Amino acid sequence: MNSSGKKEDEMKVTDILEKKSTRRSFVKNLSIAAAAGSAGLVTGGCVSLGKSEEMGLKWEEYFKSNYRLMTQEEKDETVARLVRLAKIQNDADIQISNQEPRENVLYGYAFNISRCKGYMDCVEACVKENNLDRKAKTQYIRLFEMDSGQLDPTSGDGKYFHEVPVEGKFYMGVQCFHCENAPCIKACPTKATWREPDGIVVVDYDWCIGCRYCLAACPYWGRRFNWGEPEVPKEEMNTKQHYLGNRMRMKGVMEKCTFCVQRTRQGKLPACAEACPTGSRVFGNLLDPNSEIRYVLKNKKVFRFKEELGTDPKFWYFID
Amino acid sequence: MITNPKKGISAFISDCVRWSLSGGRGYKIYLLALLAVMGAGLVSYVKQFQEGLIITGMSDIVSWGLYISNFTFFVGVAAAAVMLIVPAYILKDKDLHEVVIIGECVAVGALIMCLMFITMDMGGPLKVWHMMPGIGLFNWPSSILTWDVLVLNGYLALNSLVPLYILYCNYHDREPVGWKYKPFVFLSILWAVSIHMTTAFLYQGLPARPFWNNPLLGPRFLASAFAAGPAVIMMVLIAIKQWSKYPVDIQIFFKIKRIIVVSAVINLLMLFSEIFKEFYTFTHHSLSAQYLFFGLDGHTSLVPWIWTAIGLNILGTLLFAFDPTKGNPRYLMVAAISLFTGIWIEKGFGLIIPGFIPSPMGEVVDYTPTANEIIITLGVLATGVLVVTLLIKPALAILIKFKEAKT
Amino acid sequence: MKKIFLSSGLLFLMLGTVFLSAQTVMASGGSVIDRIHAADKPFDSMGIESAHHLPVKTVLAQESYQGGTFKVLARKDSITRFRCSVCHTDKKVLVSDGALFTHGDIVINHGRGNDRLACIECHDEKNRDFLSDAEGKQIDFDHSYQLCGQCHFRQKRDWLGGAHGKREAYWAGERVVRNCTSCHSPHSPAFETKMPATYSLPLDK
Repeated sequence: MNSSGKKEDEMKVTDILEKKSTRRSFVKNLSIAAAAGSAGLVTGGCVSLGKSEEMGLKWEEYFKSNYRLMTQEEKDETVARLVRLAKIQNDADIQISNQEPRENVLYGYAFNISRCKGYMDCVEACVKENNLDRKAKTQYIRLFEMDSGQLDPTSGDGKYFHEVPVEGKFYMGVQCFHCENAPCIKACPTKATWREPDGIVVVDYDWCIGCRYCLAACPYWGRRFNWGEPEVPKEEMNTKQHYLGNRMRMKGVMEKCTFCVQRTRQGKLPACAEACPTGSRVFGNLLDPNSEIRYVLKNKKVFRFKEELGTDPKFWYFID
Repeated sequence: MITNPKKGISAFISDCVRWSLSGGRGYKIYLLALLAVMGAGLVSYVKQFQEGLIITGMSDIVSWGLYISNFTFFVGVAAAAVMLIVPAYILKDKDLHEVVIIGECVAVGALIMCLMFITMDMGGPLKVWHMMPGIGLFNWPSSILTWDVLVLNGYLALNSLVPLYILYCNYHDREPVGWKYKPFVFLSILWAVSIHMTTAFLYQGLPARPFWNNPLLGPRFLASAFAAGPAVIMMVLIAIKQWSKYPVDIQIFFKIKRIIVVSAVINLLMLFSEIFKEFYTFTHHSLSAQYLFFGLDGHTSLVPWIWTAIGLNILGTLLFAFDPTKGNPRYLMVAAISLFTGIWIEKGFGLIIPGFIPSPMGEVVDYTPTANEIIITLGVLATGVLVVTLLIKPALAILIKFKEAKT
Repeated sequence: MKKIFLSSGLLFLMLGTVFLSAQTVMASGGSVIDRIHAADKPFDSMGIESAHHLPVKTVLAQESYQGGTFKVLARKDSITRFRCSVCHTDKKVLVSDGALFTHGDIVINHGRGNDRLACIECHDEKNRDFLSDAEGKQIDFDHSYQLCGQCHFRQKRDWLGGAHGKREAYWAGERVVRNCTSCHSPHSPAFETKMPATYSLPLDK
């Protein structure tokens, strides 16, 4: 199994390299054109230097490639441009990481439905960590208040706002389940969303054309669309960002839970798991037989939501 | 019509432009009205472009609305040109051969509307090059959307190049050479079926949406398209008969009427089959249908629409089936409009929107298009009508001229 | 006529084959469960350098989990006025200081119904710097799981394995888990009822 996986990876690499040569020259030519264009603007004298720098950066950003096709050098360049643009546009000092996935890691998540009390600390932590749009009140996680006698979150109440936990009720959280066989990836016409080798389903925000086919394809309602320009107050912005994670999105693109890729690739727990005061959220490496998540899968009776759809999610529910 | 002694491509183009724009005062007002609607649509679209799709009534739950509904419907209209091509070319029907070109013009207009609706619906229309093979990444064959892009553009090419070739030959007083275009005509027959099936697969292939995830969806798309499309063509033919010198034989109306009746009856039969499946044993997956036909959790915004649509559908079918006036254009116009509107509502709102309701997490949200969204939609519709008009005018002029030359 | 149907059938068949073969090629990854079963070698999570340096004090647990030794959050530092023996001596106490010394603020809500636990059921009767289990063995405050686990043995088993309680900050690196008392007040261990931290928008526009 391992060897075939490796072969596939090698094939992908050559595939990428082949494509690279043609598209690189294309991008190069365009950036020369861009440089000429911005030089013209400067000599025109009616545009300030900062503005023309911004225009130039945006121009280069527009013609950049899909993240998966970029070389490390190109990844660093686009990160530098994005950091600079944030400085020019919002006077914000941000760091954008492009850290690669680690080997022998496959992230998995388990949710203890008999422990969750519905406090929603996870939701709040997620909003802050991932720079979610405060104006539209975007949330990746939804908690459902469930009546006893049922186990399907679609029968629960997702709009509760009263003292919790309520006697006789239990709580169930849903978010992106990072399916191994994700319908959203299959649906995307531009390969703007994919599953990373460590199992995280990510979106290249700059590559997404906003057709929302993935949103229609997701059986878990795990994806969100930026209907307007997202807004996060500057003082609340999380400046530790990842290219595929919590960097600022723009209007007209999809976004979703990334298992906090900016944290998890550094060994940290996702914000929701760290914030949970009840320990209902178990996160870890599925390929490590000693990990907590593996203990849960081995020793608890678990189930996955809508398993009959064959999506193979990496998110399990369990009961004490 | 003034015949131009000069020949060649430039003369062809300049004559076509001249013919498409020439007309009486009524025609000029008609064109200006279309342009005005398009202008209003453009203004609204600029607003949408600047502020984002937030100015529409769509939300994360109902994430496709008026645009995609209309897109789906007009793919059907485009596919319906095949209902004239099949009898004309395969059954060698002389009458329908006369008006095949009009069907193709309608198809081109419908396809242009489809492509425009898709663009209107996109969050990042400027990034559309990301999808182009070569410079972008084209997720083929995995994504059905990429298949749809291929078949729609291919169909547009087929349906514009074949008539263009025929007209170009006729303009130069030549019969078109059969082997040069007939293979493409036959290809376009298959292609017409494929555009509509592919568009149906777009929805049908999503297990996330049980309302769409139904093997009857594709065939039903075809049946309703082959009823609604010829109804549109019939409307255009009546207008041509009314306002132009081009002879439209009454036999053509009878034949199109027969096509419409058969398709409409099959469509109603399939609709009945779906309704039976949803409501005889009511499952969790029938909630969308319940929302559509009877309302769910107090949300009933589609209920009046769908019953109106079913009413118009049955009315239109009956009017076509039992025609006491024997082909009176006014009577046929009423029938065509009622069937067309019925299918438009049923397939537009009635098919796309309930697919999203309830959401995969069981939440019920109503969708109401905003004024902006409606204006943009009207702008696109006006563009389509304008395109069809500007194509049909020179086409008819050339055909009349060619016929006169032959006799 | 027949030709048309034949060729159209062929075309669809062709398209279908292309499509299906493409699908099978793409779905060749294997399911998550297969991958999990295939992975039996321990993962070296110590290799993730960024996952060390916890700002909190930890102690090595006196038990081990499936991956070997691990650490728990220290408890004694967060107990105000530890060491207890500073006050709990044989020295006489002024009545006026009584309010301060009697732990009047502590409400015990531990145990079912009227069978509330008494202080000395957990605290060592003689040496107040320790807890003591049912057999009278002294237990350090930092290792209270040994005491709690007497009754809550199921929870303790899950806690050791990772299905109960939680890790501190990192999924990788050295395993540091929260102690029982990090989350539960030992005197009133049930979670309280409170307003949620936020709410989800009704999705109606």
